[in-house]
Amino acid sequence: MEEKKQHKTALPEKEPIPSAQAPEALLDIRGLRVEYHTDEDVVYAVNGLDLTIGKGESLGLVGETGAGKTTTALSVLRLIADPPGKIMGGEIWFEGEDMLQAKPARLREIRGSKISVIFQDPMTSLNPVYSVGDQIAEVIHQHEKCSKEEGRRKAGDMLEMVGIPRARYDEYPHQFSGGMKQRVVIAMSIACSPELILADEPTTALDVTIQAQVLELMNELKEKLRTSLLLITHDLGVVAQVCDRVAIMYAGEIVESGTIAEVFDHPHHPYTIGLFGSIPSLDETAEKLKPIQGQMPDPTELPEGCAFAPRCPYATEACRTHKPEMTGVGGTQMVRCLAHQGVFESPELMEEVRHGR
Amino acid sequence: MTGKVKNKNKKKSQAAAVWRRLKKNKMAVLGLIILAIIIFFAVFADVFFDYETLVIQQNASLKLQPPSAEHWLGTDEVGRDILARIVHGARISLPVAFATIAIATVVGGLLGAIAGYGSRRVDDVIMRVMDIFLAIPSILLSIALVSAMGTSVTNMMLAISISNIPPFARIVRSAVLTIKNEEYIEAARAIGASDKRIILKHILPNCMAPIIVQATLSIAGSILAIASLSFIGLGISPPTPEWGSMVSTGRQYFRAAWWVCAFPGLAIMLTILSLNLLGDGLRDALDPKLKN
Repeated sequence: MEEKKQHKTALPEKEPIPSAQAPEALLDIRGLRVEYHTDEDVVYAVNGLDLTIGKGESLGLVGETGAGKTTTALSVLRLIADPPGKIMGGEIWFEGEDMLQAKPARLREIRGSKISVIFQDPMTSLNPVYSVGDQIAEVIHQHEKCSKEEGRRKAGDMLEMVGIPRARYDEYPHQFSGGMKQRVVIAMSIACSPELILADEPTTALDVTIQAQVLELMNELKEKLRTSLLLITHDLGVVAQVCDRVAIMYAGEIVESGTIAEVFDHPHHPYTIGLFGSIPSLDETAEKLKPIQGQMPDPTELPEGCAFAPRCPYATEACRTHKPEMTGVGGTQMVRCLAHQGVFESPELMEEVRHGR
Repeated sequence: MTGKVKNKNKKKSQAAAVWRRLKKNKMAVLGLIILAIIIFFAVFADVFFDYETLVIQQNASLKLQPPSAEHWLGTDEVGRDILARIVHGARISLPVAFATIAIATVVGGLLGAIAGYGSRRVDDVIMRVMDIFLAIPSILLSIALVSAMGTSVTNMMLAISISNIPPFARIVRSAVLTIKNEEYIEAARAIGASDKRIILKHILPNCMAPIIVQATLSIAGSILAIASLSFIGLGISPPTPEWGSMVSTGRQYFRAAWWVCAFPGLAIMLTILSLNLLGDGLRDALDPKLKN
């Protein structure tokens, strides 16, 4: 009851979120800030991140290493190692419940049954001393009351659903290949038919052909189960294949978000433009790719203004001193850039945006 | 075990798989056979040797007889048959040693697991207490505990168990520290497992190897500790046969009659050897990665 009330009072005071996604947001992250405190310094991993995922929607969260993607996903389930990690502020609403206020027992109920996680490396995310079937059955027993035989039968069903014959139920993780292990991890994550799956770079540790198979499987399951998906990756190709919407993350904040079509056809943020510039294209012959110059800012001392300013070819003096806000640029597309906010004019950037990809 | 029958046509149960893998290890099977023989004799000791006449009754005319057809392993300084005393001694030494190490493994293992998994403060408190126990020589600790609580087999067992707890706690703690950062532990947390479940079901099964090795090794230490305590009169009192005290009393006659000391020593050695062989095999058999 109290949580419901809190929700109502908390909603209006926040900045308005795009109306298109507001009605049936399953997950709503607002102003999330996560820091890692070590003896030497403080790492600002996530800095005021806003994110919404609707029911049945899949969102790709893209960014380079160290942008805070994994931290964001782990924060949703409060799985950040504490110490050193600390959620310093913000709200994470899931089905009208603030995850940051939830009691440990409630969190354990949600973990695995309503929100599940697929980890990056299938090689290490399965317990070596249990058979794969038992590990899937464990998720089921954790959240549903059922007999041993029933758990076994259900876990077998899950294995078959991800394309592994039931006969391999009693085999151990080391007897599986990487791709098969990732299928097992996926089977574990869908075992209790969750509302939301957080997939943390599910294909990064796999080779390209297996990647394609796993992505196809995830696409298939997503359609079959109508589950929402937060797909974390640094591969824009993967996002285009699986997701409905995409959010580009840089130095702990979202710099651009929108539907796949919007962002892929007309990237607005200089960083997004840079990302697309560093992907080889099949249609054009390019002598050289155009990588983004420079490095991600040190997360222990972020720049005062726009975090991307030091690497941005269009940056002006204003960029170094003023923090940009998320600005709508048509449709559901939002960009965090002073040029689009109208603080300064940059004909070159506008030319690049109009030109599209 | 009801599942065993049911799954028979599918796959063998886990216990059967462990047994199958253990059988392949020749040395482990040898250890198991030796241990089985020792336990067999200990259980049926009364059938082979009468306790009163052969083990307790002294006979000055037979003292320090070398091994012969009548007394296979010779006689001791008061004319008692050494073989009979060894066989009956197993009934004391083995259960006491097993019990002490079982207590130490469970208590030390749990303390170590909690220290390794818990917060910094919990870790500090548990491990500093363990350090205090480690700093006191184990025999001194046992003497202090036994003399404080009174001389009895139970108190002696408790004393030996307590002095064996710190090494277990340390070993388990270090194993837990490496395992708890594995991704599958995080995955277990992500499916909603409680801390208790993570420790008992996910972390401890993954650190069985060092625990088994430490347990089999410290059974030997435990047998010797029983001997030392008995020797200074704080354990098992003299007429009762006990391997350790047989070795220590036989020591003074070693030049004249080596068998008094050697055969009980051999019994201790064989027991420990068989336990170590079995422990090694068990460690490998329990590890599914070494399967096939």
